[in-house]
Order: sequence, then structure tokens, then C-alpha cells
Amino acid sequence: MLGVVLGVSSLIATMALTRGIEEGMHIFMQQLGGLELVKVVPNEPSSLMLEFANLSPGLTLRDAHSLRNSATLISHISPEITHTVSAACSDAGNSERRKARGILPDHFVIGIHGLAAGRWLVDLDIERGARCAVIGHTVANQLWPGTPAADIIGRTILLDQTPFEVVGVLPLYEQEEDTRARQLGKKPRARRWDPFRQKNEAVLIPFSTMFHEFRSGAFPENSMDSLKLDALTVRIGNLDHFRAALGQIRSVLDLSHRGVDDYDLETREDWFDRIESSVRATRLSGGLISAISLIVGGIGIMNIMLASISERIREFGIRLAVGARPRDIFRQILVESMLISLLGGLLGVGASLGLIEILKMISPTENIPVLTTGSILFSVAFALASGLLSGLYPASKAAHLDPITALRYD
Amino acid sequence: MSILEFEGVRKTYRVGEQEIHALAGIDLRIEEGEFVAIIGPSGSGKSTLMHLLGCLDTPTEGRMVVCGTDLSRATPDTLARMRNREIGFVFQSFNLLPQLDVVANIGLPLVYSGVPRRDQRARAEEAARRVGLGDRLANRPPQLSGGQCQRVAIARALVNNPRIVFGDEPTGNLDSATGRNILTIFKELHAAGKTIILVTHDPAIAAEAPRVIELCDGRIVKEAKA
Repeated sequence: MLGVVLGVSSLIATMALTRGIEEGMHIFMQQLGGLELVKVVPNEPSSLMLEFANLSPGLTLRDAHSLRNSATLISHISPEITHTVSAACSDAGNSERRKARGILPDHFVIGIHGLAAGRWLVDLDIERGARCAVIGHTVANQLWPGTPAADIIGRTILLDQTPFEVVGVLPLYEQEEDTRARQLGKKPRARRWDPFRQKNEAVLIPFSTMFHEFRSGAFPENSMDSLKLDALTVRIGNLDHFRAALGQIRSVLDLSHRGVDDYDLETREDWFDRIESSVRATRLSGGLISAISLIVGGIGIMNIMLASISERIREFGIRLAVGARPRDIFRQILVESMLISLLGGLLGVGASLGLIEILKMISPTENIPVLTTGSILFSVAFALASGLLSGLYPASKAAHLDPITALRYD
Repeated sequence: MSILEFEGVRKTYRVGEQEIHALAGIDLRIEEGEFVAIIGPSGSGKSTLMHLLGCLDTPTEGRMVVCGTDLSRATPDTLARMRNREIGFVFQSFNLLPQLDVVANIGLPLVYSGVPRRDQRARAEEAARRVGLGDRLANRPPQLSGGQCQRVAIARALVNNPRIVFGDEPTGNLDSATGRNILTIFKELHAAGKTIILVTHDPAIAAEAPRVIELCDGRIVKEAKA
């Protein structure tokens, strides 16, 4: 029975743990822009196409227009040009090299950005080529340490000595693990790769402003339309049509690039697939351990039942003598062994509640375990099934007793 | 028509290489409403005969008809049904379930004949009153005297209103006064029309029965009818 208790509680705890990981991953994916985000980036054309690579105009704003007009399965699109600038605040702070990005308002939807204070860039900013910027948390914190986000709105940030008005500040993006570390007053671990770095260090300015202020001079023959983009981010309208949407993007771009494959589609699919498969692996191994302990528990129940029927042979003899059929005895033993496993299962549910509390405190992953009624029901059902299976042998043994021998048994 | 009919019934047990003929050809007819005592020394086969009569076992050879049903090749389920509906057993050692109270013990056969739960209790209580145990319903067998236990067993044997009641040394574990009381109950049942079959080695009890069958070495050696 102890085995059943352990099996059920570990099964529930494993399910809660993997569920927690899944939910954490889900939030993480959303913060990164989700699966819907697809990035079109310029790429070296393959060697086969090198001969006529210059036929292609490259990734330009025209692509953004034609995608918006022709690719019906994408909901938002934003071109992106980047320029490394030195960012400083007007109050003579240290300047730091930052990668400023010129974007369209759709960018905020595509990246699923939040806003700590202020507003996003809007179409009017683009139209007027306004000198305004939305900055990430790290940038704001470095320029004006300790100032709340709301007070930063309206201040001036100097990008390569050009004054820009800060109109919005993005919230701090961090992983669950770091949040808890910060709440506990510990320093976040230094890590090689921070998936939110791009968001936290963002300096976002209107696409048109970027072009006029920083990029038009470099190539005088460039118009805004023919300027080579650094990236084109796209949001797929409906994930059910993910493949079809990628196909649409490819056919539009193949046409406008005259068949030269000088672009690449970056999706999150592979990455998310890898995350999901690791969650699956965790669930599988945890489930396996629990299943093994349930089997051990089932064997324990079988032993209990075998011992109990050998003590009660006379009882079965009496029951048979007054007219119990073998199948009545069989059913009686099965019900008894299922009751034992049900009791073990319920104890296991109780134990798992405590176990999950402990896990919440010393969670080996970065996510808080999530308990669902479904997992409790599933585990109890599993325990019942193990009780049923382990009762079968003792039950058939008791049912096949000879009434005369059983009555004489002492 | 006879309620019990045996024709050339043999029962053979195998112990290793040796064959033991517990019953070596029994021909016997018992009519409905008879009071029969089966006597014989130990090893004479009287227990084996009673197990066959009581549908706890099937014969190796021969024909056996109980209450009009041929049970020579019966399945365990058919035998269980006969024991449940047509036969009541009273054992020497009472064979009550110690963890159940008097009512539950008496009602045990009803559990297996599909009687609704509420009726089970009512009928068990009625049977308890018939054997004079109306005030002992909530007791458990360990709290009762031997005579009371045997009354519970008789009530259990009667609860499903069977046509035949078997007693296997029903007075063997009781003092003579209590034994006489129990015997009186059997006589009353006989007077009420039940077929009574007692297995005993007590000549005093056998003397009360109108028909006595004596067994020796698996055969009927003497039959006396009063």
C-alpha cells in the first residue's frame, strides 16, 4: 500500500511539475513573440545563383508592401533597419553603444511587447518622421538609474548627438528564475545567453526617422523604398495555416527577388519543438518512475490479498456452502483489493499536496508546479487499475477453492 | 417423486498411486418430508455421502438427482444455486462468520440469491425469531453460547426456505441438554414438512429418527424404518 501511496503522489507531483514547466514555457514563448513570429532576414544567395544575384533588389520596403498586399495569411508586418548609435542622456551621462532599430508600429504587435509607461510608436510618428523613441528597460536604467519609468517619459535621449524624445519605456523582461532570484534579494546569475536581451536593450525609433537621420546619407542613390532592410518581421494570423503562410511569403518574395534566394525565413518552430520534446521527456521519465512504484504497490496489494485469503479460507468455505458462486467470491476479493488501492490512492493524493508544497520551495526547475484536478483523477484511476490488476490472481485463487476443503480448513 | 435419488453412486479419491473408494455404489431414495439419520463409524463414508447429498460435490460415477435436477455432471454454479435455494446446512462447528452480527450471518444466503437489501434484513430477523433469538440480533457469534450459535446456524439454514435441511453432527459440540433442544427444533421442522437428514454417530439421536441408514466402508449395510 505504501507503494501505491508513493506511486500516486509521485505521479501527481510529476504531472504538476511538467505542467508548471509547460506553462512557464508558454509564457516564455509569448514574451518572445510566440510561434506566430517569423523573421525574414537577408542571406547570401547560394552559389548556384551567384551569377545573377545582382538581379535581385534585395530585401526592401517594397517587399513589405507586396507582402502586406498579397500574403493574406499574415496579419502584421514591420520592416527593420538597424544602426549602431551612441546613446546618451542630455544630462551628460556616459554614452553607450546601442543598436537603434527603425520600425513600423506593427512591430509592437508582432513582438508582443508590453509597455511600462508612455505609448508605442504610432503611424503619425512614421508619417512625420518624428524624433521619438521607445526604449527598453536596460537602456532606461543605464541612462537614468533609479528613475521610475513614468518619469522618463518626455525626457530627451541623444542618439549620435541627435535629440529624441522618449515616448515609451518597455517593461523588464526576465525569466521566471531571475524574477524569483531578484525577489529573494539575490543577484541574477550571469548567463551567456539572455533571450530577452534584444527586448531589454531596445532603442526603437520610427522607420522613416531612422532613414532620414542615419541612413540616407550613406547611399545617396537610395530611396526609402530601395534601401536594403536588415530584417522584416511578420506575424502569422492563424497558426493553423502556419505552413501555408510560409509558402505565401516565399512565393511573394521569390517573385520580387526574381527567384534569387537571398533571404531566409527564421521561425521559432524548431526551437519550440525542442522545448516541447524536452518537456515530453521529463514527463515520460517521471511517469515511468511513478508507474514502477505503482506496479510495486500493486504487487504489495497482491501480497496483502494473498495473505488475507489464506487466513480466510474458512470464510470462503462458509460463503460457498450457503450458495455463493465462485464469481461472487471473485468479485468480493476484487472489490476489497480495489478498496485498498483506493485508500492508498487517496493517501497518495494527500501526500502529493505536501510534496508539491515542498517542491514549490525547492523547485529544481524555474517554474512553479501546477496541480490540476485532471492529474489527480488520472492518478487515482491509475491506482484503482493497479488494485484491480493485482487483485485478479488472489481473486481467482479464492474463487477456485473447493468448498469441502475450505470448510474443513483451520 | 423422490426428493433425493442416488443410483450406483461412487466417489473415488486418488491419493498418490492409491485409489480410495469413499463411496462404493450407493442406491438410495429419500422422499420429501422424511426424517433420516445416517450413522456409521468414522471412515465409513458418511461425510462424503452428506457432501454429495448437500451438493457440495459431484459423484465420480453414477446418477444423482436432487429436487428433480440431475446433478451428476453439474457445474459449480448450478451446485451453488442448489445449495442456496433448496438446501440448508447446519454444521457441527456452527461455521458462522465471527466478524458479522447475528442478522448478517442469518442473511448471508440471501446476499447470494439476489434478495433486495431491505428484504434481507426483514427476513433474517424473522428467521431469528423463529429459533428464539429475537433479542440477540446485534450480537456477534463470539458473544453467544454454543446453543445460541447453533440456533443462528439453523436460522441461516432456514432463511431461504429450503426443502431439505442437513445436520452434520449438529449436537456434537453441545452439552446433552442443549443438544436435546436443538434436536427438538429439527423435529419441529420435520413436523412443518421439511426433509431432514442428520449425520451422527450418537445412537441416542439416531433413535429419534424414523429412518436410519447405516454405512460401513462406503456401502449401505443396514436400513431401519420405524
